[in-house]
Amino acid sequence: MNENPMTQAPPDTDDELLLRMRSGDQQAFVALYRRRQSPLYRFALHMSNSATVAEDVTQEVFLALIRDDCGYDPERGTLSGYLFGIARKMVLRRLERSRSDVALEPDGEESDLVELVCNPDPLADLTRKEGIAALRRAVQALPRRYREVVALCDLEEVDYAEAAHVLGCPIGTVRSRLHRARALLLDKMHQERSPRSVGSLRPVRCWI
Amino acid sequence: MNCQEFWDTMPELEGRPGVELPLHARECHACAALLDQQRLLQAGLRNVAAGCVRLEAPARVETRLLAAFRGQAGMPGPPSRRWWTPLAAWGGATAVVAAAAVLLFVHERRPAPQPLTATELAALDWTEGWQEEGDAEAASGEFIPLPNAARLAPNEDGNLVRVEVPRSTMIALGYPVAADRGAELVQADVVLGSDGLARAVRFLDE
Repeated sequence: MNENPMTQAPPDTDDELLLRMRSGDQQAFVALYRRRQSPLYRFALHMSNSATVAEDVTQEVFLALIRDDCGYDPERGTLSGYLFGIARKMVLRRLERSRSDVALEPDGEESDLVELVCNPDPLADLTRKEGIAALRRAVQALPRRYREVVALCDLEEVDYAEAAHVLGCPIGTVRSRLHRARALLLDKMHQERSPRSVGSLRPVRCWI
Repeated sequence: MNCQEFWDTMPELEGRPGVELPLHARECHACAALLDQQRLLQAGLRNVAAGCVRLEAPARVETRLLAAFRGQAGMPGPPSRRWWTPLAAWGGATAVVAAAAVLLFVHERRPAPQPLTATELAALDWTEGWQEEGDAEAASGEFIPLPNAARLAPNEDGNLVRVEVPRSTMIALGYPVAADRGAELVQADVVLGSDGLARAVRFLDE
């Protein structure tokens, strides 16, 4: 007989798992890791565009949690936000070390040009694979302070208050950066669809 | 509300495509078009997120973290073998087989014991007895009795075997050996008694 879902105990909260983990409960640590590792990994990946960096950052975040050397305070925010905050600092440290922060410049891939010239509306194909890939590249080309807010709020659906905690800034700053980031993304997408080399020409059919 | 005031409210951060437009956008076609683009972009970002939703850290990260957690909590490690255990086992077995092969090869190439010649018998100086240990300098080029070995009786037949031994073995007989030359091989003549036991040795290359 199936157990009535209404009688099932609610899953442990992050803070409950953390408490159990701190008392040496390995299962609690595994549960917490499996619940939180994926968003952190993706955030680090969006920020660095490197699977190696994302892997290292994810590992270092949880090592810091194991060592309890970063001082998580539940009064100041959620554990998820706290972990994102550590991940952000580690990613930024690596970006500064490798100086891999890229400017918002077109990458000029020829394969994109052909497609973009023939498509007058850059946002019309954002449900197609190519459009999504182009948008992902545009996000990765954003300046760091805009990229991180898009990665947090748009891609990982972190709310503004938590994002403000992660970034260490007021909620208003999060909103204004997100506003600016989206404007830059739109600009970038239109730029890709209107390559300078072809000016305003928009061939609608190719006969050769 | 004018257009500037409308965008100052950051309307693109709220709502989704298909949701009713704010009042200003319903009256201003330019703002409505721009807001629609923003919402399309937001939907595109959700598609980007959906395409990444299965991405996660490799399993090896969890393995490493579990090891770190056990170490931090003072828990014993998993009973599983370390990665190098099979390598060490195979390496050890290979070394034993190789050593056995070398010994067999050496044994086969080892010269058969030769009876002592008159000169060698004289070098043993039976009548004066064994020289004292540590008097190796005086025994240069001569046979040196092995510690705790019985004397060769005057009428006992002896055999001589030429072998190669590490230079470090000379230390036990009182020879000075530089630390960096201990592994070198030196030739030596070993006197075997009629019982086959070594009695004395003479180093040919000091």
